[in-house]
Amino acid sequence: MKQTQNQNQDQDKKQEKKKISLLQKAIGFITYKKTKNPPSFTLPESNEESGQGQDNAEQQDGSAKSDKETDKQSSDSKSRRKATKKPLSPSALKSSKSESDEVKQDFDSNKKILEQQFHLPVNKDLIIRDFSIGNKQPGFIAYLDGMADKVIINDYILRPLFNETNNEMSKNQRLGPLEDIILTNDTKSLKKVSTTVTEILKGNTALYIDGLDHFITCESIGYDKRGIEPPKTEGIVKGPQEGFSENLRTNISLIRRIVRNKDLITEFHEIGEKSNTTCAIVYLDGVVNPAVVKEVQRRLKNVKTDFLVSSGMLEQLIEDNPYSIVPTILSTERPDRTASHLIEGRAVIIVDGSPFSMIVPVSMHALMHSPEDAALKWQYATSLRFIRFVAVLAAAMLPALYIALTTFHREMIPTDLLIAIAKAKENVPFPTLVEILLMELGFELIREAGLRVPGIIGNTLGIIGALILGEAAVSANIVSPILIIIVAVTGLSSFAIPNYNLAFGVRITRFYFIGAGTLLGFYGISLALVAYVLMLVNLKSFGVPFISIISPRTKGSKDIIIKWPIWMQESRPDYLNSPDRRRQPKITRQWAEQDPNDA
Amino acid sequence: MGKLKKITTLMAICLICLGLTGCYDAIEIDEEVYTLAIGVDKGVNNVIRVTFQYATYKEDSGGGMGGGDEESGEVSGTIVSTVEAASLLEAINIMNSAVNRQVSLMHAKMLVLSEDFAREGVGKYIEPLTRFREVRELMRIVVCKGKAQDFIKENKALIGSNPSKALELMFEQSKNSGYFPDVIFADFYVDLLTPYGQPVAAYAGVNDFKQLDEGSENEEPPLKTEADIEPGDIPRTGGAKREIFGLVVFDGDRMVGTLSQYETRFFLMGIGEFQRGFFTFIDENEPELIYVIEVQLGRKPSISARMENEVPVIGLKLKLDIDIISIQSRRHYENLDNIDEFESKLQAYFEQGIKDTIKKTQEEYNADIFHFGKKVAGNFKTIQELEDYNWIGHYQEAEINVSVSVDARRSGFIYGATPIRSTESKKGVEADQ
Amino acid sequence: MIKEGHFGFMEAFSVMAIVLVTKIFYGSPMALIKYLGTAAWYGTLISLVGALVFFTLLYLLMKRFPQEDLFQIFETVTGKIIGKALILTFGVFLIYKAGINLREFTAVLKVYSMPFTPPSMIMLPFLIVVAVMAYVGLEGIVRVAHIFFYLVFGALVLIILLAIPSYDFNYLQPILGYGLGKTVQTGLIRVAAYDEIVLLAIIIRSLQGLQVFKKIGYLTLILGGLTFSVCLICILAAFQYTVGGEHLSGMYQLSRAIYFTRFFQRIESIFLFVWVISSVITVSFIFYISLNAYSRVFNISNHRPLILPFIFLTFMAAFIPNNFAEIMEIHLRVLREFSSVIFIFIPVMVLGLALLRGKKGVETSGKA
Repeated sequence: MKQTQNQNQDQDKKQEKKKISLLQKAIGFITYKKTKNPPSFTLPESNEESGQGQDNAEQQDGSAKSDKETDKQSSDSKSRRKATKKPLSPSALKSSKSESDEVKQDFDSNKKILEQQFHLPVNKDLIIRDFSIGNKQPGFIAYLDGMADKVIINDYILRPLFNETNNEMSKNQRLGPLEDIILTNDTKSLKKVSTTVTEILKGNTALYIDGLDHFITCESIGYDKRGIEPPKTEGIVKGPQEGFSENLRTNISLIRRIVRNKDLITEFHEIGEKSNTTCAIVYLDGVVNPAVVKEVQRRLKNVKTDFLVSSGMLEQLIEDNPYSIVPTILSTERPDRTASHLIEGRAVIIVDGSPFSMIVPVSMHALMHSPEDAALKWQYATSLRFIRFVAVLAAAMLPALYIALTTFHREMIPTDLLIAIAKAKENVPFPTLVEILLMELGFELIREAGLRVPGIIGNTLGIIGALILGEAAVSANIVSPILIIIVAVTGLSSFAIPNYNLAFGVRITRFYFIGAGTLLGFYGISLALVAYVLMLVNLKSFGVPFISIISPRTKGSKDIIIKWPIWMQESRPDYLNSPDRRRQPKITRQWAEQDPNDA
Repeated sequence: MGKLKKITTLMAICLICLGLTGCYDAIEIDEEVYTLAIGVDKGVNNVIRVTFQYATYKEDSGGGMGGGDEESGEVSGTIVSTVEAASLLEAINIMNSAVNRQVSLMHAKMLVLSEDFAREGVGKYIEPLTRFREVRELMRIVVCKGKAQDFIKENKALIGSNPSKALELMFEQSKNSGYFPDVIFADFYVDLLTPYGQPVAAYAGVNDFKQLDEGSENEEPPLKTEADIEPGDIPRTGGAKREIFGLVVFDGDRMVGTLSQYETRFFLMGIGEFQRGFFTFIDENEPELIYVIEVQLGRKPSISARMENEVPVIGLKLKLDIDIISIQSRRHYENLDNIDEFESKLQAYFEQGIKDTIKKTQEEYNADIFHFGKKVAGNFKTIQELEDYNWIGHYQEAEINVSVSVDARRSGFIYGATPIRSTESKKGVEADQ
Repeated sequence: MIKEGHFGFMEAFSVMAIVLVTKIFYGSPMALIKYLGTAAWYGTLISLVGALVFFTLLYLLMKRFPQEDLFQIFETVTGKIIGKALILTFGVFLIYKAGINLREFTAVLKVYSMPFTPPSMIMLPFLIVVAVMAYVGLEGIVRVAHIFFYLVFGALVLIILLAIPSYDFNYLQPILGYGLGKTVQTGLIRVAAYDEIVLLAIIIRSLQGLQVFKKIGYLTLILGGLTFSVCLICILAAFQYTVGGEHLSGMYQLSRAIYFTRFFQRIESIFLFVWVISSVITVSFIFYISLNAYSRVFNISNHRPLILPFIFLTFMAAFIPNNFAEIMEIHLRVLREFSSVIFIFIPVMVLGLALLRGKKGVETSGKA
């Protein structure tokens, strides 16, 4: 009895506690809690005149930052260790048993470690081939089937190994010569198991010969990959027609082919505890602001996830503000575009296995540029850009403006048109809002279906679907004809936005404005606009204000909305604070100053 | 997680709040009917009788013939209905119960006041139109001979099926002929209150198509170059029966008289709003023949005003550009030898015409429709002085000098016309050259 | 105390210009034309001259204390208690000002565009946006202001240009209006219409130094004065002093009078955008400064928790007037004529006190 009573009391207490906690929660919603916000990253100013002092300052800055980084890292790894005690994953193994990370000096245990790491014999992918060379000295090579090129392994690793060792028959001369014997272009001697494992995972071959205290990895990457094809989403008329592929090395070589500069630096980072995806940071040293690179490094290092398959995923993990509806990272599948941004002083992140590079930091107008702009004469490019800006406005606001006009501000519509609209709408049973939503839904459906339908049918389906649907909807009196025009123009406009992500953002924004316009007409739209712009001005892309062209005002670049002639674009964008601000001398077309007869 | 929750809750609350604002002012286009013309008459059982003309939403309704049945008041794509009420805006409410849609004034293009009504003073009835948010300030104001109701009934769109376009273009014709002024409501209202001058409105009427006399066949028709015609009396047939011709002079909000179509032209020249128009003159050298010129204002008229012994002296200087359109006698008036004489004749004519028109407004109506007051005001230092002097009361005392300079600039496609040759008329022309 | 961030010349210039000029969209021209008739356009220039003199005095005060903003100067010069009282007066008056501005906006919007929406439903979304703006802080507000600066002034210029056919500048006669004495007197009283410039001294620490402060101050005042003057000239030329003194919103009526062709008329609703946007920015800015004042007085390090209660206060302040007559004849007169007692008199008095007591701020060599 007593016990039960006690239990009851306990339960009561628990309930009370629950009540209190509920109450607290409720109060928690309205009371102010101080949240600790770490300071956000802002790009330090770099000044051309005082280059020396600036460098120092930046270094100090950098060192301070790196201190913080190490702090954070250590705390992070601590917490991770705690959290991953129970499930004994290989990664956990790696990190928890640091003593076993060292390569042993005998054949059996090393082989065992590898077998253990790769779950042999369950796992059939890892091939371990035993052999003995010279004086029956046992050794093995290990590689992942399918990831490594077997011809390389046969001809350039195994064959020379057997030949040489059989000739020399010397026991003591393993260490030095071994790397001389193997004919692959890259070998590394690795003393740690974990790094060896990573190398194997990349497709390299690990070689071990009894008695060594390290593995030797030979480059033998050779898996099937797609060739270089024209870009799928950023097709242009005038300009290079090659796009990135899935292979990181290929992609970097594509960039390097355009930027032939010794200062072009590629750093590798591994992200994804389970997928171990390689990411590369590419930048042009001396042009990019070092703080940007440091920030990119910091973010990449501190992304803790198990799986990373595309640049799109990484984009979500490293962007400044995940709640923002517009993208703050520019992703492109064009090497030429990537290269031009590199040279302007931005950093590029490339993820292995993803045919897109990510460019940071960007501002709004970079998202509005098309790769074609650079190749076109400035007059053509400028007029194209105006069309694109109109397109953004139309794609975001046109349906909202239409609703606001027809339901709130009818006096503005010319009388003839007004009566025509009324006539067309006379037999339509729905309010304008429903009409718009129906048509928008239809349009989005067609677009999505067009993407999913395989092959060429997709494109045709889009056009025919839109035509038939629109026509039928009008003749069935579901929508009025003028609305078809509105929705079609809106749809077209959203296709004219050169950036896929931005187009997505604008498409969603459209509904936000539709809501505002429906509720309060122009008043609602203008309020919504203020709120939207407020969001935009607070966005940052790697420390650079997102709409830095307008606010905060920076020194005008000659390539924002109006693309001035190329020879006028003398400096890099001001907001990037590049240490090397000047792109070209004041007079670029020097031949024009010369007397042609002198030369 | 907590943060996300908070944000979602907050957004939900915001959305609900916004939802509450719920489109109080949202009205779908087809829930309203748009009045195109408003007519105001004196009522019989109540103070005013208001006529509305509003567009219908039928596809291809009636079209050109403007038929429709009498009772429903259908007139070429519109419906005309009349209601009696105590006030103009209440009439709208009364209409709502019959039209079964909200009657809106936001696209009204024309306000028609009947002449009786205008003579009694329109201020008190116009007032709501300036306060009421819907009313288009840009609607045209017209005073009509007879009943406004009849006038609006005859307001048909015959050329196309678009009644609003027809209405707008009707007033555009003021630019082409200068026979009537294009007065918008906002200006009319400003002129009602202004100390600088007096308002005018276009004068309109309904033509019963009986002015076109058959006459006897053998009689030679008289040549009249300056026949003053009242609206409704234009000798014509075919087309819509409504017509606008001449203008109405107001003193304050009370109509005091009218100007004929030629006087209207001179008035428009005086205020600088005359665009273009043909004038027909009898050829002095051959009185049975005429010549036609097209007149344009060379530049805006310049007005000067000064006070001499408490009497305002006003100078009006006009510059007219003239294109010769037709010389029936084929005499070479455009030649360097003749042009000075030709111009001086025209100059005298226009000077006299404008002087007469001003005199008429001074002596008959004492209404400064030319707004000379805005220049006279320059002679006063403060508003108090201006208002104490009361210019619009002193208009008739003013001494107004008009000077017109005429330039015959072009002579159409022909310069130095060759005479028509026949066996009879050779000699005369040669002698003239 | 509160982290406000730094911003450049154009941002501060834009926000001050918008705050000064927003009045032109409401009853201000009407009141001026009613008092001054045809002299209204230079009456406001007289106010401008007064405002310039005041700003010079303000500049002198700020120059004496180069490291401090106006509120800090209050405390340094008059001591902690009186200083805090002065700051609090500013704060309370600013909240009142924000509320009345909001109410004026609501009243005019309701008359012209949304007759059936209840005022509270017009205010609510407005206040939500104001709250978000205040939450983001000063830097966000000035950047938004900077972006919309071009829109607001572009639209003003557009309206003025499009309405050209309806102007007749003869209607500016008689030139002296209701008499020179009255013009000068009213002009001087209405220096208060420009007294928002004092807010610039409160945000001075976010600016890049005293010289920028001076430049922004003079430029915004001159821009504001010229804008007022030009708008008044246009309203007078289009509607004369009789009707111009009648219109609730002269600029709105001007945009209603635009008639170019059959297709291009009655574009006043586009004007609504400018009107709403500039009002939101103005109210947000004033609201934020009042939050700032309150947090200064009570040493609160974060203004964000104060937003909701202050929004409520603004909402309450907006409901003080019962009807439009009260807004026009009591509250707007208080704001546009007697606010100088607080905004102008207090700083000038503080300057006097500083001179008398010989107090000076810390001179520093390293000014940015």
